[in-house]
Amino acid sequence: MKALKIGLIIVVLGLLSAAYVWFFVYNKPHRDFEKARPDVVESARQCYRNFKKSAKAPESGKVVELSGVPKTIEHSDSLVTVVFAFQQGMFGDEGVRCTLLPKYNREAGRLSLHDTVRIKGFCSGYNGTDVILEEGSLVHN
Amino acid sequence: MKKIIFFTFILLAAQVVSAQRYMTKTGKVSFYSDAPLEKIEAVNHQVNCAIDTHSGFFVVKILMRSFVFEKALMQEHFNEEYVESDKYPNAFFKGKITNLKEIDFSRPGTYPAVIEGEMALHGKTNKMIAKGTFTVSKEGVRVQGKFPLKIADYGISVPGAVTGKIAEVMQIRTDLFLKPLK
Repeated sequence: MKALKIGLIIVVLGLLSAAYVWFFVYNKPHRDFEKARPDVVESARQCYRNFKKSAKAPESGKVVELSGVPKTIEHSDSLVTVVFAFQQGMFGDEGVRCTLLPKYNREAGRLSLHDTVRIKGFCSGYNGTDVILEEGSLVHN
Repeated sequence: MKKIIFFTFILLAAQVVSAQRYMTKTGKVSFYSDAPLEKIEAVNHQVNCAIDTHSGFFVVKILMRSFVFEKALMQEHFNEEYVESDKYPNAFFKGKITNLKEIDFSRPGTYPAVIEGEMALHGKTNKMIAKGTFTVSKEGVRVQGKFPLKIADYGISVPGAVTGKIAEVMQIRTDLFLKPLK
């Protein structure tokens, strides 16, 4: 009887462990960058300068909140990208490109190209022309 | 009258020159592999690509950390253990369109294209021939292609425990819509 109880406990613990690994390790959700606290808060220009100095800038792979006046807002398929441009290169404008979460697409359409905006998102790095910020959310005071 | 003709010529010439280069910064590249252990699929919507229609120069630049996987754990493993995105943040393809004469960038239509060049990934560079199609329209050029990529050729090793269960060849798909560079 005791052995049966122990066996049962082992089976239950095994099932719980397997469920934990399945749900919280193997199928763990992607990080919610909208809710995440930013690791770096700075101007888009400063972020761009840091990457121009080194592709391994401290913002790389971090949650970053940037502020600046956008030069353009691009629409491509279902993606909306807010562009902070600081120089011209072979690929046209170069600077920081922030792709927004789809829920902000409508709001992005109302952004002014004269006012400062703040965008928080995941900085995936520098591709030689632009700093890329993804899963961006518009930050309001 | 001469002035009008001269300025018309300059304007037309400027248009021709501007249409020599096409580019995108929001190209799509995805890869897919189906193996016994795991089906792996990821997509990147932040791909840079440029074409010079005069010389046939073709370049693609891919920020590795912008690949998005369905599973967060898979994305972590891809960046940290396989392609080492911190160490090698970008992949490049630089090449030339070898059948440039067969593609009329001034006439809408779909043209087969062959591009020969070099692919750099994970610190290794290999020669490569990619085949695809160029669809020319008034708005720009859509570049679509599909080719296999053997990960061992780029020094990407699969951990011993899962060797044979993860495909050694990835199928790469490109869908890049390039607009004339103004």
